[in-house]
Amino acid sequence: MFRPTFLGRVGLHLANLAVITFLLFPIVAVVIGSIQSEKTLQADTVAILPPEYTFDNFRIILTQGEQKGRVFEQATYLPDNIKVFYQAALNSLIVAVSVTLLTLVLGSLSAYSISRLRVRWTIWLLQVNVAARFVPIIVLMIPLYVVFRSAGMLNSLWGVVIAQTGFLLPYAILILAPYFETISHELEEAARIDGCSRFGAFLRIVLPLSTPGLSSCGAIIFIISWQDLLITMILNSRREFMTLPVIIASLVGDVHVFFNLLMAICLLALLPSVVLVMLLQKYVVQGLSAGAVKG
Amino acid sequence: MAEEVAAGEAGTRRVPPRRPFWKRELPVGWLAFFMNTPSMIVLAAVLAYPIYYAGYLSLHQVGLAQMRRGVFPFYGFQNYLNLFEDPLFWLSLKNTIMFTVFVVTVEVVLAVAIGLLLMQASVWTSRVTRFLMLLPYAVPPIANGLIWSFIYNFKFGFLNRVLLTTGLISEPVNWAGNADTALVAVAVPYIWRTLPFAVLLVYAALQGINRDLYEAAAVDGASAWRRFWHITLPLLRPIIAVILILRTSFAFAVFEEVLAITQGGPGDATWVSAWYGYKVSFAPPFNIGMGAASAYVLALIVGLFAIVYVRLIYQRTT
Repeated sequence: MFRPTFLGRVGLHLANLAVITFLLFPIVAVVIGSIQSEKTLQADTVAILPPEYTFDNFRIILTQGEQKGRVFEQATYLPDNIKVFYQAALNSLIVAVSVTLLTLVLGSLSAYSISRLRVRWTIWLLQVNVAARFVPIIVLMIPLYVVFRSAGMLNSLWGVVIAQTGFLLPYAILILAPYFETISHELEEAARIDGCSRFGAFLRIVLPLSTPGLSSCGAIIFIISWQDLLITMILNSRREFMTLPVIIASLVGDVHVFFNLLMAICLLALLPSVVLVMLLQKYVVQGLSAGAVKG
Repeated sequence: MAEEVAAGEAGTRRVPPRRPFWKRELPVGWLAFFMNTPSMIVLAAVLAYPIYYAGYLSLHQVGLAQMRRGVFPFYGFQNYLNLFEDPLFWLSLKNTIMFTVFVVTVEVVLAVAIGLLLMQASVWTSRVTRFLMLLPYAVPPIANGLIWSFIYNFKFGFLNRVLLTTGLISEPVNWAGNADTALVAVAVPYIWRTLPFAVLLVYAALQGINRDLYEAAAVDGASAWRRFWHITLPLLRPIIAVILILRTSFAFAVFEEVLAITQGGPGDATWVSAWYGYKVSFAPPFNIGMGAASAYVLALIVGLFAIVYVRLIYQRTT
C-alpha cells in the first residue's frame, strides 16, 4: 500500500525485533533454566548461559524419580507430586479431550438453536451466555466445592469434566452461533424439501459444513481446559486425580524445589499446548475473534 | 374457493404427507427447547446454582465451626459489614483497580501499535512477529507465573542475569520483592500472556478497513499521522471498546500470576481481590461466608462490565 522509506523500514525492523524479544523472553528463560543444574544456577549468578548443559531435570521427571542422573545424585527429597507426572499428564489429556468433545456437542446444539431456530427466547439465551462468560471462577470456587461435595463428585475426573464444561459452554456457544449463521440456508432448505427433518438437516448438512468453526472452537476449549488450575485444584485433592497445572501449583513455595526442576516441569506442561496452538494457528485466530465480536 | 387457492399458492412450502405422531416433526419451539436442555442442565448445575449459593453463603455465618456442625446460622449483611470494615479488603480493591488500569491501558496501546506493525506485510520481520504472536496464549497461566518468578528472582533470576551481563544495571534488583515494583512485576507477565488476544482483535479489524480510504486521504495530502488519527483510530473504536470491556473484566479477577509470583507479598503490596477472596476462605480462619461476600462484590463489579458488553454486542447485531 504505502512503501515505507529506508529509514522507515529500519524502524519497523527494530520495532518487530523489540516485540519478538518480548514474546520470546520467557520462553528463552524457561529453556535455559531447565537445561542446567542447581549448582550452575547458583555458582554464577551473572552468566546467562550455563557452562555445562544437562537433561537430568527432564530425566528425573520423565522417569518419575527412578533415574536421578548426576544432578540429583545427592538429592534425598523429591516432591511426591513429581512422582505422578505421567498420571497427571494423562489426567490433563483425558479431561481436556472430554471437555472439548462434551462442550462441542452441547454447544453446537445450543448454538444452532440460537442462530437458526427463530424462537424469541433463544436471543435472550444468547445474552445470558454472554453474561455468563464474565463470571469469575473465584466466585464459583466455594459454592462449586460444596455442590460437588454433596453430589459425591469430588476427587474424580468426571466431576472436573462437568465443572469445566459448564464453565466453558457459554464461550463455545458464543464462538459457534455466529459460525452457524454463515452456513448457507439454501442447502438446509433443499435437504428439508427432500424430506429431511430440521434436526436431520442440522446433523447431516449444517454440522459437516461447520468443520472449520467446530475446529476453531474445539482448539480454544482444549487449550483453556489444558491450562485450567482453579476448578481442578478445588475439586480434586487426591494425588491420582491431579492434572499438570495442579502439580505445578503444588510446587509453589516448596523451598526444596529449585528453579531448574521447576522450569523443566513448566516446559513439559506448556509444550503440548504450544505445539497445538502453532499447528492450529489459523483456527485459533478465527475462533478468538468470532467469540469476541460477533454476537 | 378462490381464496383457498390463493392462500395455498402464497404458502409455497409443500405440506409433507401426514405421518404418525412419533415420526412427525417437532414444532420449532419444542425442538429449540430439547436442543437446549442438556446445556441448560449443565449451566444450571455449574453456573446458576453455585452463583445463587454463593449469595446464600455470603448472608450466613460460615466458618470452620459451622462447617463441622453443618449448620449455617443466618447472618444478615454482617459478612458485608465486616468486609467493608476490613482495611485489607479496600487495599485489595485499590490494588486490583491499579493493576487493571495499568494492564488494560498498556494492552490497548500495544495492541494498536503491534496490530499496525503486523499490517506491514512487505517487512519480513512483521511476518515473523505474526507467526510468534499467538505463542503466549498457549502457555498455562500457572506455568507463566512460575517462569516469571524465575525471571524476577533476586539472586538467581534470569532478568538480573541479562541486565547485569549487558551492563544495564550494576546491582541486582529485587523486582517482585520490592513493594514499589511488585504490582508492575505481576502485571507484566499478565500482559505477556493476554496481549495476543487483544492484538488479534485489532489486527482482524485493521484488515477489514477499506484501503481506498487511505488512498483518498493520501491524494488529499494527509500525513501518516493524520491518516492514523482521522481514519484508523475512529474505525478501530468499536473493537477497542470490546477489548477494553473484556480485558478489564478478566484482569479484575487476576489470580494465577499472583499465586505463583508474589503470593500477595511483599507485605500486602499485591493483594488483589481474587487473592483476598481465596485467602479469606481457604486459609485460617477459613471465613467462607466473608470470602463469598467478597467474591460477590467482585462479581457485581465485573457484572457491570458484562451489562455494558451485552448492550454493545446487541447494538452491533441489530
